[in-house]
Amino acid sequence: MEQKVILEAQNLTKVYEDGLCALDHVSYTVKEGEIFCLLGDNGAGKTTTINLFLGFIDPTEGKALINGIDATKDPLAAKQFVAYLSDVVMLYPNFTARQNLDFFARLGGRHNLSRNDYYDVLRQVGLQEKAFEQKLKGFSKGMRQKVGLAIAIVKQAPAVILDEPTSGLDPKAANEFLEILQQLRTQGRAILISTHDIFRAKEIADTVAIMSEGKLLAIKTKEQLQHENLEKLYLDYIQGKVAA
Amino acid sequence: MLKILLEKELRDIVYSTKFAITFGAAAVLLLLSFYVGIRNYQESIKEFESAKTTNATNIASLTDWRSVQHRVFRKPQPLQVLVNGVTNDVGRTTDMRASGELNLINSRFSADPLFAVFRFLDLNFVVVIVFSLFAILFGYDAINGEKEAGTLKLVFANKVSRASFILSKLLGSLLALGVPLLIPLLVGCLMLLGFGIPLSGAEWIRLFLLSIAGLLCFGVFLTLSIMISSLVTRSSVSFLLSLVVWIFSVLIIPKGSVVIAAQIIDVPNLDAVESQKRKFTADQMQKRMQSTQNYFSSRSMSADTGFATAFGAFQDSLGKAYEKERFDFYGRLNEDWRNKKDWQGKWAFGISRISPTAVFQIAAMNLAGTDVEMKYRYQEELNRYQDTYAKFMTSKVGSTADFMRVVIRRYSGNQPSEEEKPKPLNPVEIPDFTDQQRDLGNTVAASLLDLGLLVVLNALFFGGAFFAFLKFDLR
Repeated sequence: MEQKVILEAQNLTKVYEDGLCALDHVSYTVKEGEIFCLLGDNGAGKTTTINLFLGFIDPTEGKALINGIDATKDPLAAKQFVAYLSDVVMLYPNFTARQNLDFFARLGGRHNLSRNDYYDVLRQVGLQEKAFEQKLKGFSKGMRQKVGLAIAIVKQAPAVILDEPTSGLDPKAANEFLEILQQLRTQGRAILISTHDIFRAKEIADTVAIMSEGKLLAIKTKEQLQHENLEKLYLDYIQGKVAA
Repeated sequence: MLKILLEKELRDIVYSTKFAITFGAAAVLLLLSFYVGIRNYQESIKEFESAKTTNATNIASLTDWRSVQHRVFRKPQPLQVLVNGVTNDVGRTTDMRASGELNLINSRFSADPLFAVFRFLDLNFVVVIVFSLFAILFGYDAINGEKEAGTLKLVFANKVSRASFILSKLLGSLLALGVPLLIPLLVGCLMLLGFGIPLSGAEWIRLFLLSIAGLLCFGVFLTLSIMISSLVTRSSVSFLLSLVVWIFSVLIIPKGSVVIAAQIIDVPNLDAVESQKRKFTADQMQKRMQSTQNYFSSRSMSADTGFATAFGAFQDSLGKAYEKERFDFYGRLNEDWRNKKDWQGKWAFGISRISPTAVFQIAAMNLAGTDVEMKYRYQEELNRYQDTYAKFMTSKVGSTADFMRVVIRRYSGNQPSEEEKPKPLNPVEIPDFTDQQRDLGNTVAASLLDLGLLVVLNALFFGGAFFAFLKFDLR
């Protein structure tokens, strides 16, 4: 059965007022049950793409579609179908993990969840039970990241966008995080991840898109990458040794 | 959606340690200002009653109304102790005379220099310094702080409009911080009742309006700092900007406005005016002495009723003529000085109204009756009383002439015989002096402009924050 396209970048272009071209005619799709990694160095245009999907900025050209809805024309409708986790997950330090989850769940349209429902999600992301009702001000980055992921999960949106989700996490925490992403994939979520971590991208992604200076240089599927050295391929593309 | 955001805003503020500390400090200072005010009021009332008693005792020890040195005292008002304004700078005591210019002496500061050192802890201080800082501490990172923490993007990854977010921010902050401040204000009011401070219905209304003005002033700083937070990307920069605005508002603009007004309207200092008055009085005295001397040289002095009556009448007519001359001269001087001072005041207050705290201070002083006009209003009351007192003295001694009182007394035919024991005076006979306060209508009218300005500033910064956020870069 053909999998449904959830996220689609159609010829996405963003040129800022100062003339900087942050994104240059980028097109790709992310289907349900797919983990799509945007791989690139700083300034490659990964976060710009995400900002366009979330309606934080308007494209100069092209479209960012979520579940078929143009995120620029109808951002509020489009955002019903997407959950997001940013690279900076401070959340609300005066709230407990459960209170943070409750706030974002209700914001995402899930109003009737019980305390146990929240606990289940927090367990799912691997947060220790004793931390459920603790204020976030004492949490480590890894613990906050787990709560952030719980926020993304609890919304039950078909698309999940993660911006540099494993940056700053220790290897164990990063590994646990990726395991949870795999669970989400099996639930049929379309997951878009921006990262510059080549090894994690290869480990988890179904599709890897290599970006540099606003351009999409290559899109490789997991099958294509099985017999390739992703690090070498990435560097070759970045250094222009391979034509895009 | 607005409800969810509003609820989060309220909880986020109330759960924070920053709130517990700052609210605790503001509440303690607010209650302290009430307590200090109440104690000062009770102390002032004691001093007032004691001074009145001493004055009555002094009068009762005399036997001749001509020897009376009557003093009147300004009665402390309950609201004056909550908003000091100029009340402690205005003299509390006046040597009452049937004629001549009345001077106010014994200000609170001249009587108790320590009071001048610790003059600032009143409701006005708490609102101007503490409430405004409190507002800035919570408003400066309201928007850009959420951006720095990454929560702004998380929130806007949901079906949330910018309008509902900024509205929840503004309303939530106003509610979460404003409503708790009502608690110590209400406790302060209960303290007034508990300590038996006699507040009339009109004074309760004025106190209510005063509290509203305080909350409006707080609202101005809160909405202003949220607006700055919506205009600036980094919270450290918005904190600095908010602090600069606070310094200008609390310290620089109010003081600067007085300096600028003094440059625009040159008003002679009071010493120069007093010096002119003294010279005029000295010249008058000289002339009067000369006239009296001429009077004596043209008549033979004898201890009979006829001479004393004639001399008294002569002094009366002379006194009236000089009094009229003095009254006209002093009146011209005072009017000229007052007109210039009024214009200077208008300029100073006009300029200072750029500052929200100055606007609050002007409103608060008007509501408490401790504005700069207080001295003039009190002097007008004294002048009215002087007429009553003059009539009373005339009824008692047949003349209001202070001058040559000894001569008149010595040569008057009313000298008691050796056997006749003089009766002590009854001070109760002297008409009572009551300092009429400005009525509620006039008080509200006087503070309406500034209360309105505070409302306008709230609306302006509320709108400013709202529209600034609509353009805010969420990334």
